[in-house]
Amino acid sequence: MAALEAYASRNADEVHTDVLLKARQACYKSRDAFYDCLEKESNKKPTEIASVGLLYPAECKALRAQFVNHCRASWVKHFDRLYCKNKRVTRLLDDGGETRR
Amino acid sequence: MATAIVRSAKNFRNLHQRFYFHTLLTKCRPPIPSPTIADNIQHRALPLIQQAIPFGIGFQSFVADQRFSSTSTTTGTVQSGHSKPNSEGGDKSGDSNQSKSDTGKPIRGGPISWLSFLLLALTGAGIIWYYDKEKEQHIEEINSASQAVKQGPSVGKAAIGGPFKLINHDGKNVTEKDFLGKWTVIYFGFTHCPDICPDELQKLAAAVDKIKENSGIDIVPAFISVDPERDTVEQVREYVKEFHPKLIGLTGSPDEIRNIARAYRVYYMKTAEEDSDYLVDHSIVMYLMSPKMEFVKFFGKNNDVNSLADGIIKEIKQYKR
Repeated sequence: MAALEAYASRNADEVHTDVLLKARQACYKSRDAFYDCLEKESNKKPTEIASVGLLYPAECKALRAQFVNHCRASWVKHFDRLYCKNKRVTRLLDDGGETRR
Repeated sequence: MATAIVRSAKNFRNLHQRFYFHTLLTKCRPPIPSPTIADNIQHRALPLIQQAIPFGIGFQSFVADQRFSSTSTTTGTVQSGHSKPNSEGGDKSGDSNQSKSDTGKPIRGGPISWLSFLLLALTGAGIIWYYDKEKEQHIEEINSASQAVKQGPSVGKAAIGGPFKLINHDGKNVTEKDFLGKWTVIYFGFTHCPDICPDELQKLAAAVDKIKENSGIDIVPAFISVDPERDTVEQVREYVKEFHPKLIGLTGSPDEIRNIARAYRVYYMKTAEEDSDYLVDHSIVMYLMSPKMEFVKFFGKNNDVNSLADGIIKEIKQYKR
């Protein structure tokens, strides 16, 4: 019991509000905006580096900044990874495995 | 004539069969032919073993009759036609045997007739119909057997669940005994989860409301953190507040979390990227526990709100104890 109490009192003051509802919703919105920009400008050459190997064109730079601002770093990486995975799957389905990637 | 006798011996078996069938067909006719009306018999009845020799003759004349298409009246034409179609008749006897039987209306009654064909068809149909029925029955049995197994959790319960000692979001120490008496749905996650845990918890909250609305059953949703280092009581409290007023948040010491995760077979692993900002990889499962805190069923990520609510209601209704 003592251990539990000690544990409970340790981080008593910090509440990470950036994972609560409002913050989450803001994060999702900026995330969607950024990825929509990527979809829209998909014909442009990706020059900027996002994370985990994702590249994006310079037009979406502002949205990217907002995205990174609103969301935790680990979440940004997570969403980028997810986006790359989905992109790969859709590309596979569209090409039918013709392009080797 | 001699060749006819030889061939008659060969064909005897055939003709014996035909005779048998013919007797079935022509019960009213005298089975034993008399020598006086030999020519009549040539058309209709097959002679017995004593009549082998005249039989050969009769056989020839049978062939002859077909060729001449004469009726049974005159003996003279029959006998005169002997020598001429003798050899040809003998040659043709083998295959004309078959062709005669195939053409349907044999004058003598061959082994294959319309009646035998009909009987065969009926038997075949009967067998197929019987087999069909048996197969249907068998399939029914399998279906009902598989249904029966699903309905009886007494067949063997999964060893999931167990005692635990955690802290709820109000800071109170709780054990599994505090959950007895009501149905509980437990979800393991962590507050720093980007998208999956919020979605699942929202789904769970909506399902709880739906179940209450549809069947009036009270379900207690519980959220257990697999990230005890970051998920303090306050953190958990703030987190679960936003989903549902009845959602209970549980956290505890890392040891306790490890124990309960093992009891519920939950996988969780810190993706150690940086020190404070990491994600926890974990299995995405909701556990439905009975009022005795025994495991009943789990629901994966693929269920939407409706299927989750319906699934839970079904399990509760089926739960007999």
